[in-house]
Amino acid sequence: MPKEIRDSAILNPAAGMVTGITEVRRQESLLKAEGLQNAIFNSANFSSIATDAKGVIQIFNVGAERMLGYAAADVMNKITPADISDPEEVIARARALSAELGTPITPGFEALVFKASRGIEDIYELTYIRKDGSRFPAVVSVTALRDDQGAIIGYLLIGTDNTERKQVETEQKMLDQRLRDQQFYTRSLIESNVNAMAATDPHGIITDVNKQTEALTGCTRDELIGAPFKNYFTDPERAEAAINLVLSEKKITDYELTVRARDGRETVVSYNATTFYDRDRRLQGVFATARDVTERKMAAEQQRASSAYARSLLEASLDPLVTISAQGKITDVNEASIQATGVPREQLIGMDFSDYFTEPDKARASYQEVFSEGFVRDYPLAIRHATGRIMDVLYNAAVYKDDKGHVLGVLAAARDVTDRKKMEEEIRALNAGLEERVRRRTAELEAANRELEAFSYSVSHDLRSPLRSIDGFSQAFLEDFGSSVPEEGREDLERVRRATQRMGQLIDDMLLLSRVTRREMHVQETDMSALAAEVAEELARESPQRDVQLNIEPSMTATGDPQLLRIVLVNLLGNAWKFTSRRQHAHVSIGTVQDPEHGLAFFVRDDGAGFDTKYKDKLFVPFQRLHAQEEFPGTGIGLATLQRAVHRHGGEVWAEGEINQGATFYFTIADLHASIPTREEQR
Amino acid sequence: MSNKIILLVEDNPDDVELTLRALRKNNIANDVVVARDGEEALEYLTATGKYAGRVAADLPQVVLLDLKLPKVGGLDVLRAMRADPRTRLLPVVILTSSTEEPDIITSYQLGANSYIRKPMDFNQFLEAVRQLGMYWLVLNQAPPINR
Repeated sequence: MPKEIRDSAILNPAAGMVTGITEVRRQESLLKAEGLQNAIFNSANFSSIATDAKGVIQIFNVGAERMLGYAAADVMNKITPADISDPEEVIARARALSAELGTPITPGFEALVFKASRGIEDIYELTYIRKDGSRFPAVVSVTALRDDQGAIIGYLLIGTDNTERKQVETEQKMLDQRLRDQQFYTRSLIESNVNAMAATDPHGIITDVNKQTEALTGCTRDELIGAPFKNYFTDPERAEAAINLVLSEKKITDYELTVRARDGRETVVSYNATTFYDRDRRLQGVFATARDVTERKMAAEQQRASSAYARSLLEASLDPLVTISAQGKITDVNEASIQATGVPREQLIGMDFSDYFTEPDKARASYQEVFSEGFVRDYPLAIRHATGRIMDVLYNAAVYKDDKGHVLGVLAAARDVTDRKKMEEEIRALNAGLEERVRRRTAELEAANRELEAFSYSVSHDLRSPLRSIDGFSQAFLEDFGSSVPEEGREDLERVRRATQRMGQLIDDMLLLSRVTRREMHVQETDMSALAAEVAEELARESPQRDVQLNIEPSMTATGDPQLLRIVLVNLLGNAWKFTSRRQHAHVSIGTVQDPEHGLAFFVRDDGAGFDTKYKDKLFVPFQRLHAQEEFPGTGIGLATLQRAVHRHGGEVWAEGEINQGATFYFTIADLHASIPTREEQR
Repeated sequence: MSNKIILLVEDNPDDVELTLRALRKNNIANDVVVARDGEEALEYLTATGKYAGRVAADLPQVVLLDLKLPKVGGLDVLRAMRADPRTRLLPVVILTSSTEEPDIITSYQLGANSYIRKPMDFNQFLEAVRQLGMYWLVLNQAPPINR
């Protein structure tokens, strides 16, 4: 038996080992520990395996037998603890120790006891393999056994079954993992939030922030944590007050603050914040989330501005404006409404719209019509002022709708027509007066006209008869007594006859002038070219000896009284004929021309005697003549008659001419130019 | 032709004289009855009053009727004639100084057969009377009531 084994055998008196000489020397001290040793060795909860210095198992206690399933006899002096250990773990341990201690260590028993062999207490985990091949985790404590000289004579490996602890550990690990997951999840929640979040301690010192807060403040997480929360706002006192408010009220909502970032950028945010506690309900601090409301603020600002604008529009209106609900209650009014009713705004709002009119039923019907038709136009009502004064108005109203097209109410605008009504009254009175005056004037005119007609009739009959007698009896005298009358006397009588005939002509011309004035107009489209040709033909027939080259523009028309237009042409062409009578070959033309001042005008041009242009204003004055009777006979009424006929068509007549250079007479027919085709159109 | 009577209704003696002279000068030798106003003209035609003894059926060949007459005007005479079946078809020539349109229109509306304005110039007047006589006393076939 090797010496080491014998020595170690001494340690186990129960094994009934034979003791050697050295053993005897140590007997006493060993015996002192005997009770403890026995207790340890016999403990079923510990596996106690003792080996010799080489590792061969010398002692294998009851605990080891139970744990590993080997009988002591199976292993003693046969195998080392390495043989019942997980070989891979043994190899790993050898590698690790080699690295740790800087010496090559054999992956075998040496790896299990190397540290202990160097006097280092060594406890480690190891997987033991049972006899049946199953495994269990064990915690092994290794101690080197030495003799009196300190030489290692063996090793004691005390192991405990670590299965339960291992399980607990695994569970713990899982719990830890779950905790970590949970924390990660929570963090993610915080970080993924679009709102800036911050936690502070009860003194307002920042303890945590998310990335949004970093972005909002332009400061890093490290900078923020530990700094006072209030430092990052334009109004630190208000920020501090917010924290205090949370602490006292447990929470705040929609607390607006303006964050000032490191670069000076300001952001309006709305804070929601609550206090938070640990498991023991101890206050930990404040958890605050900030929403960027800059845009919302701007939108709200715009809304406010636009509603202020709308308001000012409403107020600027001088017309009373009201909005009415579907129930007919006034929901809003402008200043003009207050003025019109004499009732203050607060009192008007909520009242029945129809209450403020002299005819409430009619007023009610008006807004009911708006709700059914969508609008009313110029609905007449009368507003009763608090003082009793009545204002006549015309209502214009329409429904107004929300974005979705739901009718919200009616906007009604009243127009004060009191003045207009008064004016209408005045105009009506004025008109009545005017009509009366017109009636009177018309009666007067009719009377005058009747007188004029009677006069004309009288002239026509009575003035001509004596002339006919003078002429007739002068002729009779000459016939009956001519032979006994001297030549001179016959000439005198001829003068009497000529004067009589001239008088007759004057009367006829004056009657024509009067008739042109009195004639009732029968306006129709008239072919002026045809009319001119007809008149010219008559003139040519009356004086067939004349050589007049006539040029009539074709297709001239005018809308007027054909008889008066005929008188115009008779006069103008007659004049042209008369004043070209000294020409061997006369030229007369009738046409249209675009006059810069009068527009489209007719003209009659001749190359006859013409006239002195300085007297042209006298041309159209009745009885005014520019030529001697002997030269060109006439009464001086023809052009006046022509002018009157033209005037009756709302037209103008004028003339151009030079002595012996011919004359051109122009006339227009007012507002009838359109019916006269231009030369261009004729082509 | 001598049995054909002309009724001249004319108040102006100058015109009567000139007309008779013109008829004479034109060799129109018919009997001319002159009525000095409308009333007298109607009395003649209906054989009443001053002409109560006259045979009413003996009507003139033509009536030369002035318009402007004392008592009963020319247009009223014409109206009365046209209303009376006996004189309804009797040819009536208005011989007047008037050229007023209403006179002309009314005359024709009331059934005048012709409207002649007395020319101022006596030579023209002569010519007018000549043609008038030629037409109404020679050319024109009078309605059968005269017989």
